[in-house]
Amino acid sequence: MKIAHLVCAVLMSASLSAVAQGNLEIDSPAIGALKQSMQQRHAQLAPLYQSGAVGIAADGSVALRSAASVPLAQRGQVNALISAENADRSALYREIARANGHPEWEGDVRKTFAERWVQRAQPGWWVQQGGGWVQK
Amino acid sequence: MRRLCMFLCTALLMWSPAATALGVLSLKIDRVEHPAFGLANLSFDFPSDGRVSLSIGALRIADHRWRRLRLECAGGGFDAAVLRCERGVLRLPGVRESVRVDFALDMVARAGTLELSVATRGRIAIELFADGSARANVSALDLTLLREWVPGLASVSPGGRFDGVFNWRPSRDIELSGRLDGGHFGTRDGLQAAENLGVEVSIRLSPGVGGWDWQATLDWQDGAAYLHPFYVEAGIWARAHGDFSDGRLNVREAAISLEGVEQLAASAVIDFRAGSLVRAAVALANADLAVVGPKWVAPLVAPAAGDRLKFAGRVSGAMEFEHGELRALDAVFDEAGFSLAGGDGGPGLAFGPMSGHVPWRENRSTQASLHIGGGWWQKLALGAFDLDARIEGRAVRVDRLRIPVLDGALVFDDLSLNDGDVGWVGGGSLVVEPLSMPLLTEAIGLPSMSGVLSASIPGLRVSPGEVALDGAMVVSVFDGYLRATGLRLLEPFGVGSHLFADIEARHIDLAQLTETFSFGSISGFVDADIRALELVRWKPVGFAARIDSSPGHYRRRISQRAVQNISALGGAGAMAAIQRGILGFFDTFGYSRIGFGCELHAGVCEMDGIGKPGADGRFVIVSGGGIPALDVIGYNPRVDWPVLVDRLQRVIAGNTAAEVR
Repeated sequence: MKIAHLVCAVLMSASLSAVAQGNLEIDSPAIGALKQSMQQRHAQLAPLYQSGAVGIAADGSVALRSAASVPLAQRGQVNALISAENADRSALYREIARANGHPEWEGDVRKTFAERWVQRAQPGWWVQQGGGWVQK
Repeated sequence: MRRLCMFLCTALLMWSPAATALGVLSLKIDRVEHPAFGLANLSFDFPSDGRVSLSIGALRIADHRWRRLRLECAGGGFDAAVLRCERGVLRLPGVRESVRVDFALDMVARAGTLELSVATRGRIAIELFADGSARANVSALDLTLLREWVPGLASVSPGGRFDGVFNWRPSRDIELSGRLDGGHFGTRDGLQAAENLGVEVSIRLSPGVGGWDWQATLDWQDGAAYLHPFYVEAGIWARAHGDFSDGRLNVREAAISLEGVEQLAASAVIDFRAGSLVRAAVALANADLAVVGPKWVAPLVAPAAGDRLKFAGRVSGAMEFEHGELRALDAVFDEAGFSLAGGDGGPGLAFGPMSGHVPWRENRSTQASLHIGGGWWQKLALGAFDLDARIEGRAVRVDRLRIPVLDGALVFDDLSLNDGDVGWVGGGSLVVEPLSMPLLTEAIGLPSMSGVLSASIPGLRVSPGEVALDGAMVVSVFDGYLRATGLRLLEPFGVGSHLFADIEARHIDLAQLTETFSFGSISGFVDADIRALELVRWKPVGFAARIDSSPGHYRRRISQRAVQNISALGGAGAMAAIQRGILGFFDTFGYSRIGFGCELHAGVCEMDGIGKPGADGRFVIVSGGGIPALDVIGYNPRVDWPVLVDRLQRVIAGNTAAEVR
């Protein structure tokens, strides 16, 4: 699977799962804007996933796993990138829950996405499992 | 002060010289103790071939210990009370490279020389004097050796080259001065790291009460460091003094020179045995926020918005920490300014110049008082206002906050916000004191409209990603009013920012409306209901709207131009079915009712008109009445919203000729 399609694939698979479980409607302009933002950012995050600098966290977020492979002057930017990605991800989970008419489902949506992000991570990427980091 | 044993502490020596049957002279020393180092179970062997062999049962330097060391000297001996080792090779357990050792120690005069070198990785030449003093010259010492010599430092991978001089005068002082070049370190996770460090350092210790007093200067001239989440570059200079005893480093005062800060001072107590920062205090005066804000504030408070966050003005303040936790903070702003550009690149939000004092204490409430000279929200200018807030832990309470906007104001009452684990949560109430519509429409770039806007929102609720306003915002305009309820602003600071509202419009004067937007001329009044309006970046992306003529008796005329414009909205061949024969003969026409609806979803407007649509999908938008009269009929019940908006803008701009069939 091409890296560029990964975000979309995860979003699609998560949405299908959610629809099957709770009749979630995930398509909305806000969700579209968030998807677009995340897809654009993915081009910057993909090499960081590959190098292991950034890992897929178990809670549906991304985390700075090992910044050692990132040039010193860019570590602050990577931190900003992660913060922006996590802000979008949190907003996405809330939006999906809202679009479904059940804001209280945010936690379940996050959990579903967290599982999908881990499942869809490419070989070589680091994912958080059982409290530790594991390379796929 | 405890008497220091400078050299081989003879009081602790136990000599055991013995000649073996093989002609080897052995010298055994139980232990040598010194505050800085210790040796135990030393055994010198002097074979008859001129070599010297030394085994050390245990070596301690500071808190680091090695066991079973062996030194083999190619030459040397014990002659006239001088113990010599020439071309010695010392191997340390776990250390890859051996250490070349040469020494000549006069046991009587208690003086001598000791030289340690590791291939091309550095040399330490030590001179020991009879008065107990010592001097060490360190040349090009490769600090990567520390990873092997001091296992505790391996986790930070130190490196670089150190040149310096170490002077020790017992009962007087210890001095170290030198320079680090190409210095670097890094934790495994990369969150604490530095590269290409060039640092001049000077430290002086002297005996104090129960320990040592010290003074130090540090001049960081080259390189950079990342100390998560801060990226810091060279150009920092510091001078500090304090004391050290019982494993505790007390920094009484440190004066630090930092770019953008007029004065910066700190104090701290560090417990090395517990590995903890017991307490620390930092005070700064007259810091330039434009310099320190992006470096020290944005990475901490808003890393995701760092590029959009701008700072100006000056701040002074102080912070106190205990056991690594912030206990107190004071910030005094002087003409400070903050702005957060919108996620879409728009003007966003800005406040300033701002002056005042914000105190915070961990265990008691404080009162913050700020005067804000003005600001911007989107295209709206905000007037000067005062902010008085009570701060309790992670909660902020404001009794009243009045922010002037144009000729009105936003008045918040009983605002309470808590920074919980999930984000900011709280609420209050909001009243919008009347804003004149001519000023508002001018400010946001709309055609001028008369009237006023006001709002009463008794239930303002804030939760992560959402601001909900339970109440009503009313705009009196075009002789009628718009009433917005169910206002909810979602993800206000993100890319998915959007606004929900239900809008009810009553008795809107079409004559004023069409004149304002240069749409031709329609006399009469309409009511409108727009349910579930959703705006993304102020553009509609969803709603269910219905517009109908207002009940009542009033003049109902529509101009030829307005008919043409309505027709033009339908696009080429799409909409108008009018009595072409009469259109050109009259300027205005009578009508009995105007009515149409639009449900916008997924970029498509599903339209209908008055009554049920015909079998062919046609629907009446304007129903004729009076003399002369005409009907305007829509043919296409599905219209792409962006296309419709584009046509409307072109009609208003007068760029589209009506297509009449």
